Amino acid sequence: MTAAEVSPLQTGRYAPVTWNFNLIAQHALDGFGGMGEGMSIQIAPDGRRILWLAHESAPKNFTAVDVSDPRKPKVVVQTDLPQAHMRSNSLETCGNLMAVAYQTQKKGLQPAGFELFDISTPEHPKSISFFDCSGPGSRGVHQLWFCDGEYVHTASGAPDFTPTHPNDDQFYRCIDVRNPAKPVEIGRWWMPGTRQGDNVMPPPRHPLDKGYRAHNTNVYPQRGDRCYLAYIDGGMFILDISDKANPKQISRWTNSPPYTGFMHTVVPLFDRGLMLVTDESTENNAKDWPKLIWVLDAREEANLVPISTCPMPDHRAYAAAGRFGAHNIHENVPLPTVWQSDQIVLGTFFNGGLRAYDISNPYQPKEVGVFVPPAPPMAPTGTIQLNDVFVDEREIVYTVDRHVGGLYILEMDF
Amino acid sequence: MASAGSVPGGALLDLFPSRDAGSFGRRLKRARGARIPVTIVTGFLGAGKTTLVRRFLATAQGAGTAVVVNEFGSVGIDNALLRGSTDQITLLGNGCLCCNTRSDLQIALRGLVAERDQGRVPQFRRILIETSGLADPGPILQTFATDRALGGEFHVEVLLAVVDAAAGLDTLAWSAEARKQVILADRLAVSKCDLVSAQNVEGLVERLRLLNPRAAIHSCVDGNLDPHWLVEADAGAGALRAGFVAESDHSDDISSFVVTDAAPIAWEVFARSMETLIALRGRDLLRVKGFLNVTGCRGPVVVHMVQHLAHPPVELAAWPDGNRATRLVFITRNVPERDVRNLFTAVTALSVADGLHRTAGLD
Repeated sequence: MTAAEVSPLQTGRYAPVTWNFNLIAQHALDGFGGMGEGMSIQIAPDGRRILWLAHESAPKNFTAVDVSDPRKPKVVVQTDLPQAHMRSNSLETCGNLMAVAYQTQKKGLQPAGFELFDISTPEHPKSISFFDCSGPGSRGVHQLWFCDGEYVHTASGAPDFTPTHPNDDQFYRCIDVRNPAKPVEIGRWWMPGTRQGDNVMPPPRHPLDKGYRAHNTNVYPQRGDRCYLAYIDGGMFILDISDKANPKQISRWTNSPPYTGFMHTVVPLFDRGLMLVTDESTENNAKDWPKLIWVLDAREEANLVPISTCPMPDHRAYAAAGRFGAHNIHENVPLPTVWQSDQIVLGTFFNGGLRAYDISNPYQPKEVGVFVPPAPPMAPTGTIQLNDVFVDEREIVYTVDRHVGGLYILEMDF
Repeated sequence: MASAGSVPGGALLDLFPSRDAGSFGRRLKRARGARIPVTIVTGFLGAGKTTLVRRFLATAQGAGTAVVVNEFGSVGIDNALLRGSTDQITLLGNGCLCCNTRSDLQIALRGLVAERDQGRVPQFRRILIETSGLADPGPILQTFATDRALGGEFHVEVLLAVVDAAAGLDTLAWSAEARKQVILADRLAVSKCDLVSAQNVEGLVERLRLLNPRAAIHSCVDGNLDPHWLVEADAGAGALRAGFVAESDHSDDISSFVVTDAAPIAWEVFARSMETLIALRGRDLLRVKGFLNVTGCRGPVVVHMVQHLAHPPVELAAWPDGNRATRLVFITRNVPERDVRNLFTAVTALSVADGLHRTAGLD
């Protein structure tokens, strides 16, 4: 190929594309459109459908958007973080109760933990309690799972937890919030070797060294005795939590090495005996490519077998700026306001946008929809960086930009 | 390619069954699912296909269309016209693609998808194939049914035949290809309506209605056709309009008729009937398409066959119009409606005798 024939993919150009999605609304969230990975729908007592969104970073904590008419989203409330040195990033609602994660930039700072709110009146969220996870070796809670009104499953540090390596500070903690005014820890699990005093050797470090620590901590009523735990550089684990005070490892699967770690989400598809596992891209310019959505044969939970990955476009076209690769997927949160699908996977890929895959044949996932919007004004990377996705039971798709773009609302058309 | 009798689903799906899936896999919101829509524009030499395509490309609906020109003996004129016309054509990067044979068409279409995925050509939303004036569109339709790769990626949404208001009647009288184009079309556009009297246009329209009573007929001047007619499929058998003549005689012994039935049919019975029909008269089944009310299915099963070839059937999530009746359009050569109905009746009776009707339910 001569210089004159250099293909666009080698110049790093990428183009906005909408394929089999219809964008029906976009909201920049009043100038604070840098959104994290907490997205949850509440049907308010007055019947309004409220989408609660966690911000990716300071100064905002969370924003509530009335999406009763998804074509006309309206901001209901937007709150500030108590400190600039922290982020919320993750939240979940269950009925009129909302749990919001708080993670500090550095260890030892406060507030680090999670806060429970009464959101009966969405305009005026009322704090019920704060569960303190701060400590000399803790940054608090990065992510939480809360959909049964009883237990908040967190990726958290703790004041009494000293990791063997400073990057391994967050682990699985189950907090009983049946009395929301007084949350109580009832169980925890960490990867053996990551806490000082463990009787096994600390795990070897990965080149990017993002830590052996918990990320998503999914628990579903179909198997209330299981926690599907992603553990960043440690891969993923299935835990037996039938005794919540004593979680036990059932199985582990990791793709790293040779891959570059940062396993992010584990979503079991119970009826089908399948499991979706995602990595997160954390490096700019596709340096950690490929970050993928993996499909596992999970018919035998103790012997997980990877059978395919969801195909991604050529990374060179997307390597120009910002992150490119998998991150969050729609997680089938077991609530009536959440779309349940075991045939379509929706995931966000930062500048690779939102992508939908048909996994009817799980050996050959097929891309069926793409939404890569143009870079929002003032985007620091010069590209979109779609961060999270959520689909409600009306099959309305909500996706958010990590930095400035705010909320995009779409219909699936496939 | 799936034969009409292939068992829906298959061993792979059985390993990981989904309660939400139907017997034909994921239920789709529309017949094309996620596949790339294809518009085929056919019409005799000089009918005004290129003018119409150029006008379409300049509209909002035409944006993002990749054009493939299927040339037989039009000496590159059409190609040259299109290349110079609009931005959408340069979308391909290397202009239009000329396809002299069906395999070239296959190669061109596969190449387009591969290059798009690699970022070598811009994203396109639709493929428009402009056929040669002398082409029988049948083989092009077959291409999408025979090629597994193409069938999985592309869906023929509209086959539009352009007919010249001035020369159309004459051409239809002497050219079997021109008649075939009209007979197989989903829609008809009468071009150059400004060049002849309204009376002449009406005469042509009457002839077109005889040849193809299913297709909507639109008239246009200077290629100015509502772009929706090039992008919006009639919903499956929605092509059956009020006032449809159930059986009409054509020249070339070609006729079209619609089989309707309110009662659901077991897929196995349908498949067995069609396999028998194909074995006996496959060459004479020019096109069979429409909605099938299959026992146990929530939505209609979309069926599309061209001669002995069948597209893999897909189930829609819902009946688009609330009418759950089977509606199948048959375009056949010397295969009367009565014979098809008798065959279905016979196979149904045999299946009842075999107990197939009891096991055939797809619940």
